[in-house]
Amino acid sequence: MIIPILKVTNLSKSYDNIVGCKNISMSLYPGEVLGIVGESGSGKTTLINCLSGNLEPDRGKIIFNINNKETDFLNISESEKRKFIRTDLAFVHQNPRDGLRLNVSAGGNIGEKLMSVGYRHYGNIRSLATKWMNKVEIDKSRIDDLPITFSGGMLQRLQIAKNLITSPNVIFMDEPTGGLDVSVQARVLDLIRSLVNELNLTVIIVSHDLAVIRLLADKMIVMKNGTVIESGLSDQVLEDPQQEYTQLLVSSVLNV
Amino acid sequence: MIEVKKVNKSFTLFNQNNAKITVFKNLNFKVNPGEIVALKGPSGIGKSSILKMIYGSYIIDKGAIIINNKNIATLSAQEILKLRKTSIGYVSQFLKVIPRISALDVIMEPLLNSGDNKNNAYKKSIKLLKDLNIEKNLWHLSPLTFSGGEQQRINIARGFIKDLPYLLLDEPTASLDSRNRDIIINLIKAKSNRGVSIIGIFHDEYSRKKLNVREIDLNIETKH
Repeated sequence: MIIPILKVTNLSKSYDNIVGCKNISMSLYPGEVLGIVGESGSGKTTLINCLSGNLEPDRGKIIFNINNKETDFLNISESEKRKFIRTDLAFVHQNPRDGLRLNVSAGGNIGEKLMSVGYRHYGNIRSLATKWMNKVEIDKSRIDDLPITFSGGMLQRLQIAKNLITSPNVIFMDEPTGGLDVSVQARVLDLIRSLVNELNLTVIIVSHDLAVIRLLADKMIVMKNGTVIESGLSDQVLEDPQQEYTQLLVSSVLNV
Repeated sequence: MIEVKKVNKSFTLFNQNNAKITVFKNLNFKVNPGEIVALKGPSGIGKSSILKMIYGSYIIDKGAIIINNKNIATLSAQEILKLRKTSIGYVSQFLKVIPRISALDVIMEPLLNSGDNKNNAYKKSIKLLKDLNIEKNLWHLSPLTFSGGEQQRINIARGFIKDLPYLLLDEPTASLDSRNRDIIINLIKAKSNRGVSIIGIFHDEYSRKKLNVREIDLNIETKH
């Protein structure tokens, strides 16, 4: 019996009397990629912000189980929570400028993350940073350059390197290819996919692009008005949707 | 063995006045190890739907589909993912891949995902590419730039690279010339000789004959 790495039960969050997300329950298993789709305002971002510790939900349970160690995410002390977020979770923002410090060198951005989990040896940090620049296909000669000199696609790849270098256990991605040119999108998608396979990452990815979900996610959930209206294997939900809204969503995609 | 038992399938089209289309009622058949079954019937009768239900891409409304003593109709998403990884190969009608990934990487991926080492996966994939008559200068290019027949062979390679006990083939020989069709037919035969249960949709009489298939005529099976 495999234990879910993340189990969410009846999670709810409102903003005053506006529903953010309501009664969300789901499980994610190690090595799985879960896609979350839904229109703007459906609660996707509220949900991953709650799961990643950026927002405090009103009700519900979030249990992480990492290497047989259970963490009751909403019932641990603030300091334990900070430490858990730092070492076990990662968050890739849609806009890489939200996840990077633009006035610190590329290598510095990556190094900082390593230092936050206890790396101290400068040589090790630099060589790991170089290795990861290479992994995300950024020329290592750019290690001392400021991110403001990078293109949008490079910035996104740098943000991904920064997030993955510490081997987090669950990775959240909010529209990681959203702000990129189509040609750059394919490259970032390819990168995410190969890293997911190589490192057996567990990922929750929010996207309104069904093609992205189809190519990256094993399972998906469809959200509307703050609730999950349909969930299942990605190919099943996309090919044989059972809800009216999901059918509308799938049939609205233009095929080029 | 694959067992399809009393399966019903319909689609409800909410956006078209809730029109309900019934595809099957009480569909039954079995496929034994080493057997090649061909689904027969006109377009739209539900041949691909059967393959998709077995693979878990379509919901089974009623009845059961048993593989490895497990009922696909009642498995959870992660159980289906696991069963696909360990047991079921599926060759879809069209190749779907991320742009930019090379043909070689596309074929190696299923092996690497189930923990094979890189060197091994590389060797096996190269051999299959050669067997499939894909020219060497294409191996490192994205298959999205290939011709229809070449894409189809990459698609087949991806489905055939692992040794899995069940294979679902949706028109594997459709866009191929006669030479390449024979190559695929021989690969399918080799799988069947190793005891793999195969369900396929083959549009040409030639492939069905060569493969010595047992035909299941959906016109008859689904009329009650």
